[in-house]
Amino acid sequence: MAEKQVSGTTDGKPIRCRAAVARAPGEPLVIEEVMVAPPKAHEVRIKIICTSLCYSDITFWKMKDPPGSFPRIFGHEAIGMVESVGDSVDEVTEGDIVIPQFLAQCRECAVCTSNKSNLCAKFPFEMSLWMHRDRTSRFTDLKGQTLHHFLFISAFSEYTVVDITHITKLDAEIPPNRACLLSCGVSTGVGAAWRAANVDEDSTVAIFGLGVIGLAVAEGARLRGAKQIIGVDTNTEKYEIGKTFGITDFVNPTNCQDKSLAEVINEMTDGGADYCFECVGLTNLMHEAFACCRKGWGKTIVLGVEKPGTQLSLNSLVILHSGKTLMGSLFGGFKPKTDIPVLAKSYMDRELQLDDFVTHEMKFDDINRAFNLLMEGKCLRCVIWMDK
Amino acid sequence: MAKNSTGSSETAGKPIRCRAAVVRKAGEPLVIEEIIVAPPRCGEVRIKIICTSLCHSDVIFWKLKDPPGCFPRILGHEAVGIVESVGEDVHELSEGDTVIPIFLPDCAECADCTSKKSNFCSKFPFEVSPWLPRDGTSRFTDLKGETLYHFLFVSSFSEYTVVDTANVTKVDPAIPPNRACLLSCGVSTGVGAAWRTANVEAGSTVVIFGLGAIGLAVAEGARLCGAKKIIGVDINPQKFETGKKFGVTDFVDSRSCGDKPVRQVINEMTNGGADYCFECVGMASLVEDAYACCRKGWGKTVMLGVDKPGAELRFSSFEVLHFGKTLVGSLFGGLKPKSDISTLVKRYMNKELQLDKFVTHEVGFEDINKAFDLLVEGKSLRCVIWMDK
Repeated sequence: MAEKQVSGTTDGKPIRCRAAVARAPGEPLVIEEVMVAPPKAHEVRIKIICTSLCYSDITFWKMKDPPGSFPRIFGHEAIGMVESVGDSVDEVTEGDIVIPQFLAQCRECAVCTSNKSNLCAKFPFEMSLWMHRDRTSRFTDLKGQTLHHFLFISAFSEYTVVDITHITKLDAEIPPNRACLLSCGVSTGVGAAWRAANVDEDSTVAIFGLGVIGLAVAEGARLRGAKQIIGVDTNTEKYEIGKTFGITDFVNPTNCQDKSLAEVINEMTDGGADYCFECVGLTNLMHEAFACCRKGWGKTIVLGVEKPGTQLSLNSLVILHSGKTLMGSLFGGFKPKTDIPVLAKSYMDRELQLDDFVTHEMKFDDINRAFNLLMEGKCLRCVIWMDK
Repeated sequence: MAKNSTGSSETAGKPIRCRAAVVRKAGEPLVIEEIIVAPPRCGEVRIKIICTSLCHSDVIFWKLKDPPGCFPRILGHEAVGIVESVGEDVHELSEGDTVIPIFLPDCAECADCTSKKSNFCSKFPFEVSPWLPRDGTSRFTDLKGETLYHFLFVSSFSEYTVVDTANVTKVDPAIPPNRACLLSCGVSTGVGAAWRTANVEAGSTVVIFGLGAIGLAVAEGARLCGAKKIIGVDINPQKFETGKKFGVTDFVDSRSCGDKPVRQVINEMTNGGADYCFECVGMASLVEDAYACCRKGWGKTVMLGVDKPGAELRFSSFEVLHFGKTLVGSLFGGLKPKSDISTLVKRYMNKELQLDKFVTHEVGFEDINKAFDLLVEGKSLRCVIWMDK
């Protein structure tokens, strides 16, 4: 882990550093020097140690129309060290190790003080281009052009500025190339199993899409004692790694012959799974997942990010006559500041497995390689070390 | 309840000739005619109906020209009666028992029936069937020998009917029959939806779309659960006076919102959305409205209304992911007939659950078509039909 920053040298001043800037949809990121303004009130400037690529970065990197927007600094899974804090920040100080998170937790509003939801009402989630409070950017390029933020984090930069509601302080001595995973993907999956679904022992789970989210759902379900964890994916290479995370059975939807996916899974589970998780972000799969959960008490949870504008279409009488539940979940229902440290501890106690999620590690200059690997389905998490 | 002599030793094991209200063509008045009711087979009981009430689901299938509408049929599924005779292998019921038939099967044995999490019996799955569940045949014929179809496994618009034991529950005969029949469907569905499916907590905010008997029963259930604010949404302002008796605290006439869509009005009234929304009409657009009116983060939308086959709901995938709301359908309010109806009977007898206000009309069997007219015109909640009057 990087050494403690010498305080006072950059405090209150703009920092010139390297960032991977996306200038046009789908085009390779360009590593260039940018200016990072000092943090305003309630904000924190962070020196990124490690960051990892999540598919949501790719979705919005490719997006030509709003809410796609360029030039932009992507990245939202990361771990870093606080370089300086703005006014009114008491929770963290320089030198603290922190995880930024796309979902805010103000700890004050009715939602944050309730245990029923993690959707902070004071700083609601949105696909924003800006900092949360004043809707401006802290980034400019060397020509003075504003660069847009991504998910309130923008981790593909040596330094970034994040609102205090989007930061979790980490005390555990967890290696940075594991900690960054808790920023989004793995927490979302484990949370979906533990919090959103509340998977119980001996239950049956079906997971649609075995990317990091889906495998993290499996990990969460395994830790809860689920008896049957079915992984659905067209990529058979996922099956080996899936077993590590607790998957007991695999279904390749392109290999179901005459039967529909729902028929296959209904047979395997004797009437439907207790819990179904959609972890890709495709409306058709959401429909399939709903069809595969059990009548009476089946619960389908949507985790995947679909393109804005797409619609889920469900038959009214089927919903009425099936008693099934449909819900979506952001960050798996976890409250970041409360739950990320719990997961970190679980990893250090050797319960939660994180090592197998990291399939590649590289330096910042090679960031585009991470994009290619993920698009080709050849990696789970590529961890990018900023200082190498 | 008067002890009724069914003359069981005379009719047991034999067909019974009696009156029934038969629908011969979609939407046409029911015809009271004599029919033959076969004796109960294995696992079945034959019931002499005392009271039956009209529910909107009867009206839907009465009007339905295409499958699953079918004719000639004996409708009716809310009722109370006395067991006249039992078929083979029936041990839990005997002649003379007071029973409520229910459209939702409860075998009390399968994994679903024994689980707390569901009321969807897997041994006798619910379906809108023209037959009895075990052997897929009918016990009714008219005097020309033509088969008459069953409805929802009950068919209570008949002096006698045959029902599977999975579709019957025994109740305390002390409850007046013109209250007991209500627990067969509508009122139980609404109260159960608040109590069991939604699990409304004290202090919650609830919105109910559609103030028919189901919607008002939801209000009653929410009231019993201690909800602080119960908003009723309807296009018929006459429902608002009635609604107050059931605990509805605020009303929204969805036709009088001016420029604002209903969902905006309700989001404003509830400061961000209700904890629980119930759709009690059976219209896709209303379900979508209900979903939009429940609160981000923990809002739960419960679907109770029966829509046309083929009706589709549309939700933005983005919103489903990002708003954290839950959507669930509920049959019979999530209640298990054999366990929960008796509880509701007790709560009525203890004067906690109010049923009297649901019964707005009572008629004799001969006037059954009046019940249909009143309901179709929106002039009644529950019209109770007395078979013996």
